[in-house]
Amino acid sequence: MPEQKVVDTDYLLLEAPRERKFITGAQAMAEAVKRANVDMAIAYPITPQSEVMHLVGDLYAQGYLKDYYRAEEEYGTMSAIAGASRAGVRVFTATSGPGLLRGIEAIASWPGHRVPAVLGVLTRVVNAPLSIQPDNIELAYLLHSGIVLLHAENQQDVFDMTLAAFAISEMVDVYIPVAVATEGFFVTHAKGYVEMTPEDMKLPARDPYKAPVPVTDCEVPPARIQRDAPVQKSNFMSYLIHAVWQQEVWASNMRAMKYINKYLGGPIEVVNPEADVFVVASGCAAAQGREAVRYAQQEGLNVGLVKIKSIRPFPAKEVKEALKNAKAVIIPEHNIEGWLSKEVKAAIPNSGIVTDGPRVYGGMTLPVELIMEEIYKALGVKGKQRVVI
Amino acid sequence: MKRYNIRIAGVGGQGVVTSAHILGNAMSAAGKYATLVPFFGSEKRMAPVEAYVRASDAPIYEVGEVVYPNVIMIYHPQVITHGKSYTMPFYSGLKENGIVIINTEVDILTDEDKKVLEDLNTQVIMYNATGLALEIAGTELATNMAMIGFFFGITKLVDFEHIERAVKERFLGNTFVASGGTASLDSAIEKKFKRKVELLEKNMQVIRNAFKIVEEMGWTEEKQPAGT
Amino acid sequence: MGLKYIQPAPGFKEYLPKDYVDLIDFGPFGKEIDVQYMGQYKEILEEHPMCAGCWMAYFVRVFYAALPNPEDTIVLGTAGCARLALSQAAVPFIYGNYGDTNAVASGLTRALNLRFPDKTKDVVAIAGDGGLMDIGFSMTLHSWFRREKFTTIMVDNEVYGNTGGQESGMSPKGVQLKMAPKGKKFDKIPATELAKLAGCVYVVKLAPTNVKRMAKVIKRAVLAARHFGPTFIHAYTSCNIEYSIPTEEVLKDAREREKKDFGFEEYMTDEVKEFFEEIEKKKEVKK
Repeated sequence: MPEQKVVDTDYLLLEAPRERKFITGAQAMAEAVKRANVDMAIAYPITPQSEVMHLVGDLYAQGYLKDYYRAEEEYGTMSAIAGASRAGVRVFTATSGPGLLRGIEAIASWPGHRVPAVLGVLTRVVNAPLSIQPDNIELAYLLHSGIVLLHAENQQDVFDMTLAAFAISEMVDVYIPVAVATEGFFVTHAKGYVEMTPEDMKLPARDPYKAPVPVTDCEVPPARIQRDAPVQKSNFMSYLIHAVWQQEVWASNMRAMKYINKYLGGPIEVVNPEADVFVVASGCAAAQGREAVRYAQQEGLNVGLVKIKSIRPFPAKEVKEALKNAKAVIIPEHNIEGWLSKEVKAAIPNSGIVTDGPRVYGGMTLPVELIMEEIYKALGVKGKQRVVI
Repeated sequence: MKRYNIRIAGVGGQGVVTSAHILGNAMSAAGKYATLVPFFGSEKRMAPVEAYVRASDAPIYEVGEVVYPNVIMIYHPQVITHGKSYTMPFYSGLKENGIVIINTEVDILTDEDKKVLEDLNTQVIMYNATGLALEIAGTELATNMAMIGFFFGITKLVDFEHIERAVKERFLGNTFVASGGTASLDSAIEKKFKRKVELLEKNMQVIRNAFKIVEEMGWTEEKQPAGT
Repeated sequence: MGLKYIQPAPGFKEYLPKDYVDLIDFGPFGKEIDVQYMGQYKEILEEHPMCAGCWMAYFVRVFYAALPNPEDTIVLGTAGCARLALSQAAVPFIYGNYGDTNAVASGLTRALNLRFPDKTKDVVAIAGDGGLMDIGFSMTLHSWFRREKFTTIMVDNEVYGNTGGQESGMSPKGVQLKMAPKGKKFDKIPATELAKLAGCVYVVKLAPTNVKRMAKVIKRAVLAARHFGPTFIHAYTSCNIEYSIPTEEVLKDAREREKKDFGFEEYMTDEVKEFFEEIEKKKEVKK
């Protein structure tokens, strides 16, 4: 393990030199953890996530992390993450599909407990029937938890978002957990080019006293610390305490936008802003959309892409602005329910222009050809693809 | 920009996923672009395995299994004859003017298969790659090398040295994350060859011979007109 | 750290609530007050909303009085009766989710150890029979298997008291409770046996009848966890409401159960035994 020097957060995220490597999404996530000055990670196996926590385990063995263990199951994992974060250390874990749902009672309480933590979500079908493939319906369950949710398109995004997540999560005006999601297998087990900051530089350590709520370490006054207010004392206290606390959690979630702008170049990316037809997508559906836009442009069609990087906070204003002149919007998704489509429709005044799909689920691939078909339909072009099906 | 969307189908133990990594790494070594997706099912010996590689001289965004390939490589005849495949029939999704390379000793295509492939103007190559592997490397485990050799011999996407670098990285480097099963298979091969370097050399010899065969047979990307 | 963190800065004391100032001036922080003086100093737990005659409330009060280092102790609880009192004590308290005490405590203890390797930080998880032996069973057992260095105390009232009297895994066989309308079909889970098998270095089973002995084992459990590994106390803390025990008879009931199935048991590893003997020798020398 190389000696790592602590550098300024802004420098590491925005200015540090970068070197290009051809690595898997799982490796990209672990490489970000390596540079994030993480104190402790807790692992529990589930395909396709396991690869990430194997690699993080290797980092622990090499001395990059101070503690690491394999927990009993995801509820235990997510609970222990909360415990460790409350004691003031920087923590990381990752999970997939059913594991996320097993841990979600604890995860959904992280924002309310005001614990900064970073969670990798490597998507997988939620049973039943069982499948290990990358359906991303599980992200729908995170939308209402208060957690900041970033959705990575490719290996580069995984690296950038994971590294930035540690910084964003611990900002005093945010101080809630950040989840970085990407599609299992398609991104985690596939290789892509990733521009990475130097291995010998890391983020500053977590400062447990730079916090809007006290850490639980018996080091700071007052003596009587009860971050989890006894809200059952009376109904009225219960309503009030819970309400103001959750208002603050969601306001914190919105304030994360400031740092998403700063460190991730904003919550959305727009390709060909003057287009008539837009593909709007997140995660690796955005990669398929990007390919479709390239094919369309080669065919002389005026098609654009709006990639949504931040699902929570949801960039409603930015999406509305990007689509203000769109004649048609196509929203490809890797789940049956179309959670992104609902978000986009709620953000624009003319939701009738939205095509709900193409959607694939069960974790199957989303062929660019399906998006092209919708583009042809929207533009009234007859497709000329010839394949045997 | 020419894009190769490749589907590799074989059976467990043939190094389907390994060869997908080598294909991708060879592209990377040549300064070009590739993405790959191994199909992860239950990984068992002689059970169907598929892997997908996209290769191009321009960046590739698309991910996921290749549903509409323009190159199909069949590593084991049972993929076709026994239906040991996740994709049935083996050519489903094939685009026009594509290439199909099949490892077989005998012609295993039905008249119906041939008609479909003919209509799509497919370049179909059938060759005993396992025979070549046995002859040159003394093990059928080098079948995947022969297939890689055919593919690069035909497409000329990368130089021989790029393939060599990728194979070296796979067998001598430590950047490749193999599954436990793959690691145990490796150790079995190792025992057979005694040394890793020797293994590497044999593999490269198979690829070199595959290149030669491509030249001798006059295989190219464009389908030869009938009668030649 | 010790007392420093609870001492107000000069000049601020007069503006602090009397309750807080009394805790500093007349509380147990930084002192070793024998449990027999309970009621004669400002205690860590004074008021609580638990039922009149609740033996669990009594146990929790003794627990705080017995802590060897209350100023450096963090207590974790989960849903149930006990946490209503725990959350009002003058010691940091964590209420996580259902049955998660031993998982949260695992993360917390390790993290405190990373940040303060040279300081004493005691962690105690106190939860009920439902929290530790039903919903949190795997987390309880696994924290023991992993030999996490904190104390687990089960305040066993043999019922889900706070949710209205449902059967728990620790309810005695045959007893009729909600969700067991025809009576419980199986025996109490042998919690202390499991604790020993799972690797706890100090295990005690008791009925709260002898306050000095209670205080002694609570101290011992915390000290042993600090140095050696997981420790466990299984305390019978009856529910006088769900089991219809007349308020004036809760102590009598505890004594009866002590004779029947809650006889005092104390198990410790040889290592822990040696450690306590060493401490006691030192005390004698001091005298």
